[in-house]
Amino acid sequence: MTTISTSTSAFYERSSMDIADLRARAEGMQADLSRGQRIARSSDDPVGASRLRQLSRADSMSQIDIANAAKATTNLQLTDAALGTFADYVTRIQELTTQAANGTMTDAERAGLGAEIAQIRGNMIQLANSRDVEGGALFGGQSAGDAYTTDAAGNAAYAGTGTAGDLPLGDGQNVTRGLTGSEFLSFPAGSASPDLLTALKTLSDALQAGGAAAQQAARDGLSALDQGLDQITTAQTVVGTRLAWVDLTTERRTSLTEMRSNEETTVGGTDIASTVARLQETMTVLEASQASFTKLASLSLFSLLN
Amino acid sequence: MASDLLSIGRSGAQAARIALDVTAQNIANASSDGYVRRSTRLQEVSSSGGIGSIGDVSLSGVRLEGVVRNADLFRQAEVRRTGADAARADAEVAGLENVQAAVEQSNVYNAMVGFEGSLQQLVGDPTSASLRANVIEAARTMVGTFNIAATALDSVGTGLRFEATDGVTQVNTLSGELARVNLRLARAADASSDQTALLDQRDSLLQQLSAFTDVATTINADSTVELRIGGAGGPLMVQGGSAGTLAMTTAGDGTITFAVSGLTAAPAPAALTGGALAGKAQALVKLADVHARLDGLADAMAGAVNTAQAAGITPANAAGQPLFAGGPPFTAASLALSLTDGAGIATAPAGAGANSRDAGNLNALRTALGNADPVGGMDALLFDVSGTVQGRTVTRDALRTIANGAQVSLQAQAGVDLDQEAVNLVRFQQAFQASGKVMQTAKDIFDTLLAIR
Repeated sequence: MTTISTSTSAFYERSSMDIADLRARAEGMQADLSRGQRIARSSDDPVGASRLRQLSRADSMSQIDIANAAKATTNLQLTDAALGTFADYVTRIQELTTQAANGTMTDAERAGLGAEIAQIRGNMIQLANSRDVEGGALFGGQSAGDAYTTDAAGNAAYAGTGTAGDLPLGDGQNVTRGLTGSEFLSFPAGSASPDLLTALKTLSDALQAGGAAAQQAARDGLSALDQGLDQITTAQTVVGTRLAWVDLTTERRTSLTEMRSNEETTVGGTDIASTVARLQETMTVLEASQASFTKLASLSLFSLLN
Repeated sequence: MASDLLSIGRSGAQAARIALDVTAQNIANASSDGYVRRSTRLQEVSSSGGIGSIGDVSLSGVRLEGVVRNADLFRQAEVRRTGADAARADAEVAGLENVQAAVEQSNVYNAMVGFEGSLQQLVGDPTSASLRANVIEAARTMVGTFNIAATALDSVGTGLRFEATDGVTQVNTLSGELARVNLRLARAADASSDQTALLDQRDSLLQQLSAFTDVATTINADSTVELRIGGAGGPLMVQGGSAGTLAMTTAGDGTITFAVSGLTAAPAPAALTGGALAGKAQALVKLADVHARLDGLADAMAGAVNTAQAAGITPANAAGQPLFAGGPPFTAASLALSLTDGAGIATAPAGAGANSRDAGNLNALRTALGNADPVGGMDALLFDVSGTVQGRTVTRDALRTIANGAQVSLQAQAGVDLDQEAVNLVRFQQAFQASGKVMQTAKDIFDTLLAIR
């Protein structure tokens, strides 16, 4: 006959260990549920915790990318609006120059047109020196001061840097934050004038000087104006493309953010349905073992022997 | 016929009384720690017939041969061995959890990400004073968290070493006690209740010792014990009535080693593999490793930033000054903020001119940081620590289950079963009553004989 030897203290010890274990398990699941998070410390799931850390890092970088993208969008929109105004100005000067090229014009009338052109050119210089959202020169690249400086004679010279600089949009993508003045106002090498502002100065000076050369100057000016308008509309296209690129990366970022938050929930969130079910199961077992412990513990031979 | 019915009855009653006493003792000690159930061993007293009296009946009753202690040496050794393993794993996991908390809850990782983010934000507008101030504050937070992590790790180490020192004192006290028990055991009479109590004490001391260190025991014929610590090949700790002294040495990196002196000419190094002391030593080794890696990350981060700073110019067109102080080499504890004004951040490359919005040097700094990748290194460190904790926790739980099993199995064999004792009470009470009846019968017989006229 085999006998299972057991002693009173062994019975109590075993029961208390079992019940304490069940209790600890139930409490752990309850904590998971109330936190909504499966991972309280990294050691609960080292791989998951590391993944969550990387996701939160990507998330916080993405927040900064959003701010940068918004900044780039605003600056590019400012640039776009300014370019639109530039185009309007050039169109208006084209009208005036076409009038001036007419042989029936008197010198006085031409001088008036020249004065108006000079005035519009002044506006264009001011527009070229407008500021971006950060307070820097919108068309000055990375320089701190104005994009164009004018000397006493009224000649405008570009004072900014060669490029506008890039803004990171996240995931290694960049966008050039704007245009420099020289990128859309300067004419290619070999042209009659170095840039549009110089050509306008030549034109308005000649018209105001009057004489036989004025009409010819107006005719010459028209081709320079055509070229200037071409460059401005090309620049508008470039800016529009960059805006579209920023939009594209923003869309991509949004979908990536969604993916990340999905993954965060999958990796770190508590699966409520299954946790509740397991909790219920544990509670049932715990209740049963408590009940059976009470029954067994009250069974003593001493109470039966009289 | 040399039997004496009255004395046989008396011996039976006496034996039943002793058995009842032992049963009562068992019941009283049912929940005493380290108490091993006793039982009585009874022996018949009789003599065979001598010359000329072959066939004679010579019965003299019963006598107590000894009090038996129902201890199983193997199960006791198992309890000590598994208990030492579980105590080691317990101490190691507790130490490692503290290391994990020190690194994780100091939020170094988040602060590093914050600093990285502030630099990225500055690219958007390199001359903005508020964004520059933001970088300085993020750097300040990061320096603070590095310092906190270093301090927390140091205090974890101090705590572990303090506990280990206390453990060493306990081991020495228990060993001294064991040596005294050895002395008394050598003098105690065999199978006396004095000896059984001493044996209980001996086993209980051994079990307490095994919580601190792994012990190898040799039980001698006179029940005294010879004790080695750190396994069977370890140094002798208790022999006969003399005990050695365990001492702890702390190395420069905070790790600890042990040695026993007293019983050997020179202190013998003890390589502990079980018990809380071994667990603490293992946790301290991991702590030293984590601390060194944290220092390495602080050095990589501060070194990359300072080098890049030196290559650029500030908006005031001055050469960039170091952002961090306290090195090189930088450690997590020594790291400090050197620049306190955001205007000192060298965002522009050399030659860009004053107030340049060129972020060339800032981008170079970010690239250098990206290449050194201290943030990734921090993630790897956290992963390593937490992975170690998780792995050790699994081991700890397994060892604990095994130790609990061994404990319960020893209890089941050596502990008191109240039901069995209740049965024994009834049995010996009946034996006592029966012996009384024998004496009654003897008296009746005498009365019968005396009544003959």
